[in-house]
Amino acid sequence: MIEARNVSKRYGPILAVDDLSFTVPSGEVTGFLGPNGSGKSTTMRMIVGLDAPSAGSVTIDGRAYAKHRFPLHEVGALLDANAVHPGRSARNHLVWLADSNEISRHRVDEVLATVGLSEVGHRRAGDLSLGMGQRLGIAAALLGDPGVLIFDEPINGLDPEGIVWVRRLLRSLAAEGRTVLVSSHLMSEMALTADTLIVIGRGRLLATGRVADFIERSSGHHVRAVSPDAPALADLLRDKGATVTDDGPNALSIKGIEASDVGIIAGGAGLVLYELMTQRASLEDAFMELTQEHADYRAPTEMPQPSRA
Amino acid sequence: MSQTVAAYRAPTTTVPGLRRIFRAATRSEWTKLRTVRSTMWALMFTVVSTIGLGVLLTALEVSRWDHRTLTEFKGFDPLLYSFAGLNVAQMAIGVLGVLVMTSEYATGAIKLTFGATPQRPLLLAAKVATFSAVVAAVSLISCVSVFFICQALLAPKHAGVSIADPGVLVAVVGGALHLVLIGAIAVGVGAALRRTAGAVAVLFAVLLVVPGLVTLLPSPWNDDITRYLPSSAGAAMAAVVHFPNLLSPLAGFIVLGAYTVGMLGVAALLLVRNDA
Repeated sequence: MIEARNVSKRYGPILAVDDLSFTVPSGEVTGFLGPNGSGKSTTMRMIVGLDAPSAGSVTIDGRAYAKHRFPLHEVGALLDANAVHPGRSARNHLVWLADSNEISRHRVDEVLATVGLSEVGHRRAGDLSLGMGQRLGIAAALLGDPGVLIFDEPINGLDPEGIVWVRRLLRSLAAEGRTVLVSSHLMSEMALTADTLIVIGRGRLLATGRVADFIERSSGHHVRAVSPDAPALADLLRDKGATVTDDGPNALSIKGIEASDVGIIAGGAGLVLYELMTQRASLEDAFMELTQEHADYRAPTEMPQPSRA
Repeated sequence: MSQTVAAYRAPTTTVPGLRRIFRAATRSEWTKLRTVRSTMWALMFTVVSTIGLGVLLTALEVSRWDHRTLTEFKGFDPLLYSFAGLNVAQMAIGVLGVLVMTSEYATGAIKLTFGATPQRPLLLAAKVATFSAVVAAVSLISCVSVFFICQALLAPKHAGVSIADPGVLVAVVGGALHLVLIGAIAVGVGAALRRTAGAVAVLFAVLLVVPGLVTLLPSPWNDDITRYLPSSAGAAMAAVVHFPNLLSPLAGFIVLGAYTVGMLGVAALLLVRNDA
């Protein structure tokens, strides 16, 4: 279990992480979401003791990372897959890591096989493809068979097959009862992989909770109805307490009432329905909504139209 | 936590002591050193320059032996030319020592290193111990080889010395130890500055530029200060005949050792205080 208690990190005038508290439980995949520059990586660096918090504390299984001895047996982290000496072979990269924590060479070959790099273990790390480098970073995290795993953007540079592989790996690690924290800016990926989310923006905690609840709570969740009698239907629904807005010709966007109830109301009034469906918000929508005011570096939503000559 | 679901169980090994962590870290550092080509190149350069330059300069001296002036005879240190290559070798060792730390900062691998061994001063100690052991082996082989080859060249002129002569063994071991200490200082400079270019520049400035500047100072000061510079203290460790601007071998060792301990102390403090 990872526990952050009122953690702050200040770099000069910039408060990168601001009074952040959260718990990452074991046995599930916890997604760590936030726009670029929101403090995800800084928080992860503090979890593994690379940076010291300016205030507050971060512990893994009740102890600060620096208090762990041979920590690779307890915590595996992939923070930066490029952090390898390009001249050293992939296998030797794992061998020195293994040596530092009394992990056997046998285990080195085992994790190389797990990530599918047995064939290229002798190759210089600098000659590996982006995807292979990512797999090597994951192998390093798995080396000590740790109970806590931390991955910063693990699917960067992976091909579709690799992405599915990482997704399965994370799920299986969690199913074995391990603690798994994954940061990503790909919300769709989190929807498929994570059980719980921690969402931050500008270093502050914006929300935590189950992925399903996030989608449910989002304002993007609504019922769409198309009817030739749209205005009449809208009046009826408003009487029942629903919020109704126009959504194109004859179409209504309805919130606060289930699709089945819309059907019953329309049927009771003898109104014709051409179309009736529940529009589920994607995690993207939920996320964008949450981080709206907090995005530091997000591009404008609409691209400016090129002016015609 | 209590809700552990299935197969995974936390390992129940005993908590390793600091000595065991240190031993594992030195093993890891040894793996790092031997699996990168630059190590082999720098060490080979050390051997070749130490032996090559020593032999070359000694041979030149022997060839013009009969034309030498009396003053040259009087102050002749039979080891001076033999160990001329050490000045070049210390540059190779210095760069390699700097790289022990800075290459990890450059590639980002330092994050993994600290992640594996969060006890940072202990890690620095392991790096210094491992690197020093390698340098000690290489420079002892170089110094002993160059000593015997050069003395064989000097023998026909009856100018050579025996390893059994007073002060000679000390000088040969001192020459090797000089390189070890320079290497350790370089690791410390690398750890403190983190960047290869800056660390190499500082190291070379201290070893090469500062001594040149100090000689320009007015008379008693230049010798008084020169004596205590790292470069002179190191040279004193490998000298048999002693010039007024050199300390005794033991004093040289103590002075250079003090620089080494001081530099590594500062480096350890910075590693603990600053974020990785």
